[in-house]
Amino acid sequence: MEQSANTVSNTSPPKLSPQNQSRGDLLQLVGFHVGGEEFGLDILRVQEIIRLQPLTRVPNSPDSLDGVMNLRGKIIPVIGLRKRFGLELAPPDKQNRIVVVEIKDTVLGFIVDSVSEVLRIPAETVEPPPQLGKVRQEYVSGVGKLDDRLLILLDVDRLMSGDELIEVTPAQS
Amino acid sequence: MTDASSQDPIVQDFLVESEELLQGMDQDMVSLESAPQDGELLNRIFRAMHTIKGTAGFLGFDPVVRLSHRAEDVLNALRRGESQLDRRCMDALLIARDQLGVMLNDIRQGGLKEYKLDSLLAELDEAKIPRTTKPTLGELLVKDQVISAGTLTELLAEQAASPDKPRLGQLVVEKGLSTPAQVGEALVRQKEIAESIPTSPTLRVAARKLDELINLVGELVLERNRLMQLSRDCSAGRISSNDLDSALGQSSARLSFITDELQSAGLKTRMVPIETVFRRFPRMVRDVTHSLQKDAQLVIRGEDTELDKTMVELIGDPLVHLVRNSLDHGIEAPDVREKAGKPRSGTIRLEARQEGDQIVISISDDGAGLNPDRIGRKAVEKGLTTPERLRVLTTREILDFVFLPGFSTAEKISDLSGRGVGLDVVRTNLKKLNGSVALDSQFGKGTTVELRLPLTLAILPVLMVRVAQETYALPLRSVLETAQVNLRHLHLVEGCEVLCLRDETLPLIRLEQLFEGANSPRGNQDEPSNKVVILGVAEKRAALLVDQLLGQESTVVKPLGNYLHNCSSLAGATISGDGRVRLVLDPAGLLAASQNNSPAARKASA
Repeated sequence: MEQSANTVSNTSPPKLSPQNQSRGDLLQLVGFHVGGEEFGLDILRVQEIIRLQPLTRVPNSPDSLDGVMNLRGKIIPVIGLRKRFGLELAPPDKQNRIVVVEIKDTVLGFIVDSVSEVLRIPAETVEPPPQLGKVRQEYVSGVGKLDDRLLILLDVDRLMSGDELIEVTPAQS
Repeated sequence: MTDASSQDPIVQDFLVESEELLQGMDQDMVSLESAPQDGELLNRIFRAMHTIKGTAGFLGFDPVVRLSHRAEDVLNALRRGESQLDRRCMDALLIARDQLGVMLNDIRQGGLKEYKLDSLLAELDEAKIPRTTKPTLGELLVKDQVISAGTLTELLAEQAASPDKPRLGQLVVEKGLSTPAQVGEALVRQKEIAESIPTSPTLRVAARKLDELINLVGELVLERNRLMQLSRDCSAGRISSNDLDSALGQSSARLSFITDELQSAGLKTRMVPIETVFRRFPRMVRDVTHSLQKDAQLVIRGEDTELDKTMVELIGDPLVHLVRNSLDHGIEAPDVREKAGKPRSGTIRLEARQEGDQIVISISDDGAGLNPDRIGRKAVEKGLTTPERLRVLTTREILDFVFLPGFSTAEKISDLSGRGVGLDVVRTNLKKLNGSVALDSQFGKGTTVELRLPLTLAILPVLMVRVAQETYALPLRSVLETAQVNLRHLHLVEGCEVLCLRDETLPLIRLEQLFEGANSPRGNQDEPSNKVVILGVAEKRAALLVDQLLGQESTVVKPLGNYLHNCSSLAGATISGDGRVRLVLDPAGLLAASQNNSPAARKASA
């Protein structure tokens, strides 16, 4: 069966109305590829997806930071997920996109190889993550199956944990 | 309006009682400063204020009622955890207390007078504004006097040390310090307060500033209409290319002017007179001189100088520290002063003024001044420099050592200062505001500390330059000149590159050397750079090697966030006209970094 790949690549974010919220039984994810694997991020956490933009490098910055860019007047850090996951780097490609999210009051962008589509998978099909090896366990909240595709579900808030980029402040009880 | 006569025994009783209450309040308020969460203190002060209000109301002393009522509101909000005891709140309460004392005295002397209470009442109202962050459960429990502050600290330590991080409420109940019901109640209150928190803090703005803004927006609208008309004419072919050219030119010139004015007017709405910060100092100086048994007068100038509200809030603590320093280490004891031929009473001068695009705040005293020899020795002791380098430093450079972390020549560490943690924090805080702090002193005569702040937080005129295939912005204020150099004028002195410009020898800064791995190696370039920008910060000068000078811009500087901390040579980033992010270099950081990188410096610190 043919799957149409709808590349989500507008520069103005679609406003997610309350009706779009992930219902208890169906998870809505943005699917993307990094280094041959397919990942999914909660659609509510994705602010927008934009084409690769010229980045400004920041000297003496943490390794994970690829650079900064101008997002409608706001300067945001951009992190390459290949580098973050410790995968071998690849030259920039027309398919590359920047996925913009907000983690702990900081807006940042992640460079991915390509974005596949908005996926809906039933919550029951998600299993706890096995030892994945390449990708650090922390970021992964589970593994989902869609037809015969394996989807690695990422926990947005944990993507930058342990990185100096974002100060992790303990939650106050 | 007639109030009860001061001869009336009931009034006499009221006066005696209230004055006692005010005395107690004074002590309690001072204690509150070091224990802002203490529920018992807050309650006591609240009850005292409430009593004064009640009796004054009964006796018809309206001004007393008005003032104590507002103060009571603030105290109520504080003890319920709805607002935070911050500097401004404390000051307002102290001033209110003092004012009440004045009123009581006036009643005793014959009758209440007319009082200008508006600004104080307004200040109290603002101080009552609910906090902007959710109170922690611990805070509420201490306020409710369920547990003491000491117990809270212990519990938090236990919580942190425990591997499974029990919740504070749980710990409290487990230890029998409270019932689940009480904790539950506190949690409910916490949620209520959190929900009532306004999402953004508010500001008082003079109406005329807003009028000016609206005016300018009107101008903007007119210009927009003109442009739209121009666009329509253009599409309809109604306008010749020459006419379009000149009309567009005119429009963009006008737009540029309006935008500048709008930017300026917008920023001005956030500006408040520095008097709000200076206000607390007379009392502070009185209290400190009293406890130190010294004698000093405070002279304040320029209190109506305006600066951005955020800066006003952030500059309070550094100023307090500096004034305390003056009182503690600067002004000598009256006997010492007399022997030195100085008047027994010292003078501290707190002044604010505008200089061009900067606000300058200076704290000067006629005290003992700083001893450069002692500072130099201390610096060598701490390994911050060597005796050889010390010999070539100027007095001002030696004095600058006091700004380094951990530096303090105070033999005794007093309560107030001398802990050696203050001045470096002051400098860091100033740097965050894009400002600077400098020190000058004459041993035996006095010391002056000068704080410099940009007039507005955001806008910075910069010079855009191109270095090693990257474009950077340099704050124009630190650019002394630009020049074309002949490579023959570059020399090597002790392993450092220097430039000979006219009669001066300036250290040469190559950006690629300071920025590791930021840019591709320069080897690819066909032409070596031959232009320099002469940078000047305080008395230090250096030449920055650049490939191209791109021109001046007036831009908005944005902070870069956490990922910048590693690089002291960067002040922030800006978005240039082409939409790209450009890094803004920090001249002071560049100069310091290049000094540290020089082989001589590396040898000296080895």
